[in-house]
Amino acid sequence: MVFSFIFLPLLIAACLPLIGKVSKKLIPDVLTNAALAFLLLNSILLIKPVFTRGSLLQNITWFGENVNLQVALDGFNLFMLFTIALVSLCITLFSIDYLKHYGYQANFYALLLVMVAGMNGLVLVPDLFSVYLFLEVAAIASYALVAFGLGPEELEASFKYLMLSVVASAFVLLSITIIFGLTGSLSFQAVARGLQDLDGGGLIIGICLAFFIMGFGLKAALVPFHAWLPDAHPSAPAPISAMLSGLLIKVSGVYALFRFIYSVVGMTPALSKVLMAMGTISIVVAALLALGQNDIKRMLAYSSISQVGYIILGLAIATPLGIAGGLFHLFNHAVAKGLLFLNSGSIQHITGTRNLNELGGLGKKVPLTAGTNLIGALSIAGVPPLAGFWSKLIIIIALVQAKHFGYALIAVLASILTLWYYLLIQRKAFFGPLNDRWLKIKEAPFWMSAANVILALLCLLVGIFFTPVFKIWISPAAEALARGVQQVLMWGI
Amino acid sequence: MMATTLLWPIIFPAVMAIVLFLIPAKIKVVREGLAVLSSLVLLYLGFSLFSIKSLTLKTDWLGMGINFDLRLYQFSAFILLALAGFLFLITLYSAIKMKDHPRSREYYGYVFLAAAFSNGAVLANNFILLVFFWEALLITTYALITLGLKSTSHRTAVKSLLIGGLCDFSMIMGIGLVWASTGTLTMSEVHLEPHGLTAAAFILMMIGAIGKAGAMPFHTWIPDAALDAPVTFMAFMPASFEKLLGIYLLARISLDFFELKVGSPMAMVLLIIGAATIVLAVFMALIQKDFKKLLSFHAISQVGYMILGIGTAVPIGIAGGIFHMINHAMYKTGLFLSAGSVEHRAGTTELKKLGGLAREMPWTAFGFSVCALAISGVWPLNGFVSKEMVFHGALETGYPIFAIAAWVGAIFTFASFLKAGHSVFFGPRSTEVPKTKDSEWPIVLPILILAVLCITFGVYNKLPLENFIQPVVAGQAEPGQHLDFTAGALNLFTPVAGVSMLCLLIALGLHFYGWNRGGKKAYLASEPIHHLPVLRQLYDLSEARFFDIYEQGIKFLVWLSKILFKFIDRPIDFIYEKAVVSIGRFFTVLFQKAHNGQYANYLAWTIGGLIAVVWVIVELLQ
Repeated sequence: MVFSFIFLPLLIAACLPLIGKVSKKLIPDVLTNAALAFLLLNSILLIKPVFTRGSLLQNITWFGENVNLQVALDGFNLFMLFTIALVSLCITLFSIDYLKHYGYQANFYALLLVMVAGMNGLVLVPDLFSVYLFLEVAAIASYALVAFGLGPEELEASFKYLMLSVVASAFVLLSITIIFGLTGSLSFQAVARGLQDLDGGGLIIGICLAFFIMGFGLKAALVPFHAWLPDAHPSAPAPISAMLSGLLIKVSGVYALFRFIYSVVGMTPALSKVLMAMGTISIVVAALLALGQNDIKRMLAYSSISQVGYIILGLAIATPLGIAGGLFHLFNHAVAKGLLFLNSGSIQHITGTRNLNELGGLGKKVPLTAGTNLIGALSIAGVPPLAGFWSKLIIIIALVQAKHFGYALIAVLASILTLWYYLLIQRKAFFGPLNDRWLKIKEAPFWMSAANVILALLCLLVGIFFTPVFKIWISPAAEALARGVQQVLMWGI
Repeated sequence: MMATTLLWPIIFPAVMAIVLFLIPAKIKVVREGLAVLSSLVLLYLGFSLFSIKSLTLKTDWLGMGINFDLRLYQFSAFILLALAGFLFLITLYSAIKMKDHPRSREYYGYVFLAAAFSNGAVLANNFILLVFFWEALLITTYALITLGLKSTSHRTAVKSLLIGGLCDFSMIMGIGLVWASTGTLTMSEVHLEPHGLTAAAFILMMIGAIGKAGAMPFHTWIPDAALDAPVTFMAFMPASFEKLLGIYLLARISLDFFELKVGSPMAMVLLIIGAATIVLAVFMALIQKDFKKLLSFHAISQVGYMILGIGTAVPIGIAGGIFHMINHAMYKTGLFLSAGSVEHRAGTTELKKLGGLAREMPWTAFGFSVCALAISGVWPLNGFVSKEMVFHGALETGYPIFAIAAWVGAIFTFASFLKAGHSVFFGPRSTEVPKTKDSEWPIVLPILILAVLCITFGVYNKLPLENFIQPVVAGQAEPGQHLDFTAGALNLFTPVAGVSMLCLLIALGLHFYGWNRGGKKAYLASEPIHHLPVLRQLYDLSEARFFDIYEQGIKFLVWLSKILFKFIDRPIDFIYEKAVVSIGRFFTVLFQKAHNGQYANYLAWTIGGLIAVVWVIVELLQ
């Protein structure tokens, strides 16, 4: 069951280019959506066994022989699997109508499914090398998808993304090699034990950690490793932007980094300090940058950097509440940012432009798109009673509890900046007088609107039913992570 | 009888309110019939509960000493019965009067909801529960005033809400102090000596009570409502329900919760408020040119007698105050209803346009005359009995000044009712009102019932005094002293009664003097007093709402907000508008310039960032 998260998308991805020769649209659409719906269902069905047994460990076998691939499932990665399946399902639903003017649906879906498989694998595996492996699987699919439109801008962005990513991957690989050299093993548990038994060598582990922070930080687009993202995310087709901003940066950046920290080396005050500072710098710098943008997608891309800063700030506090807040914000941001990028796709589909200065007054013409955009924007900006409000509130409460008053203040002030640039979108695109150019526009097609509405409802419902969602879903995931905090570290400070 | 019966007077009208609210607007007769029937059921409930007299219901509610605690005893049973009686008369009257009101659906809903809240407030034996019902009444009052459908109705409704809210807030603070000093919220367990903090609690709670009753200076919304709200509302709330509730609470405060001693500072506060309310409001009433507005000022002035009576802290005064409360509710409701009857037929309540209606509306005129004589304290009506008791009580305190104030009030009360009656029902027939006839029986009947009750309670004062009033003040009497207020109640040949009769004669003289001076026009009868040198300026100021604390408060707030806007808001706004925005823009532009799209540049940041992280971690390690 657990392996289906990796192999099902891979299998379908392998078949899709061939099927594409036969059926241009219908079969790829149905097959992809069905596969992702199955994964979503699967992740929901796994909730009970995982929560009752704490964690699951499975080995893959081939005719009775153990193949050296192991998956481990606990509250944290089940939470990630669910988020990935949910958001990517909405994205593929959206793609049914959106991809009409790109063509090559089958290839697109194949790449998208490879990316999903890569992310699922990255989330599931309990050893360092497999982490690297799946990191690259997801990344390569994403390079291709960023360049999917094949225009000069897309190609440039993709190339830049590739070149910076490779540097990051190289450092991650280097760091893994060093750790393998030190401990002689790669699985999380063995490495953790090995590091504890190690005498001296704190410095070298520190440098390894710095490499990890840089490598995964680049994937997560932390400032100052963020520069590829504002080019890459807007260039990709809207569903892929949603995928990258909503999921990939979180899985291959935030998840991988914090899985390594909490499950292998343990969180130390020094590490916490470094990560909190980086998170906060990301929040502020990216929010200011977002303010100056005229392209909706670029603004959203900067906003992603800023919000990832919040997630990292929450996770790095290293108190159970902080971790829970960070994870909750991760989920809420995945949903809301997915919604906003899809929505920007709707706007582009409707009007043909993403330039805020050319839009105006769309609210009266396309109320569904405008309404869902408003909900997503307010959720990310942290307006009650939407989901994003609660997660930001928890992060800020956790900061205050841990006596980081300065960070708490910055987090609050930056959320005002967030609200500012999201209201800028609302004002320039949806409110105000209708630009004469848009007199004849029509609401987005059914599946595009449906995906928007589903995600907007999620923002709303998670916000309203925040207590049960948080208790049943977020807290167990946070507990699975928080165990790592107590891990005593030999090189500890 | 089961203790849960106590829930009936609260739940039944609340359910009926919903039912009446849900009956579609088109169905007319059913709604009115149902309303009258349910008020009859409530009246029956009132009688049966009055016969039980003692019942308690207590269940846990919110924890922390906040229980759902209802207590029926002598006093609350009496008020409950009175409330049900007035509700019945007013629904009967509304069946015709409010028949064609465009929002009559809401009207019945709010009236029954208000009845539910009032019953709850009377039965409550827990302060929090009391506040709950007390505050809820503000909402129904607000809603009912807006049903006046005048352009200023909403403004008046907001005014009543704010003034009421202020008084209730004060009461809540008083309750907080009581809770702090006794540690209990159960009303029947509180009995305090007012000094220091508990004196403050007394004053604060008293403001809540007299604010509801409409004493000065919390009265200013009532004259506005007289013109802006439906006349049935005036008969319902300011004339009967609010008086009953407010004075009930004031009596509870001064008799049960606190120990009020004769001549103590707390008692003096009540006496002064009472006397000031009597005199000031009656002077305002005297010069009114509108029937309903004139009545509304009397509704304020008469509260003064009740507060004065309770403030005397002697048994006869307290009994007089409480007796005056029920008497006032009867004749003032009767007066408002007859004003409504006149409005119903003549289409106006301006004194100038009315005149000589007695011949065409004999029943209304009769009911009005009895009630007007009763409010003026004419022998042998109920107003005479209760006022005499208040005069006696005031004299017993040893400060005759308060009795004099009460007598001054009596003079002008009678003068203004002579003027009102003379202008509306007697004198030459007005030419501005077309020929008409008396109102339908559902309108006339309540007025006549009230008039008969006024006579009964006066002539046969033994009935109310022994059944309702004496048991309430029994605790105030010295041990061994036998309370009997009925013996000399109708005796005309005492000095006090003599002075009262003299007052009535003066009033008669004043009226006819003014009538003569005003060219035999009754509505001008008060003009000589209106134009007295100092009074005239005071009247002008008052007409300009100079003494209205609400209007002055609003003016002050507007001034304050202007000051704050200019000296606090604008400078802060400047910081946001200019400083924050320009700093934000500066950094935005700076960062934007750094993102020039050069791969080498970005790679350099990445490597630079890596070096920085390594450096920081290494630093932290050492």
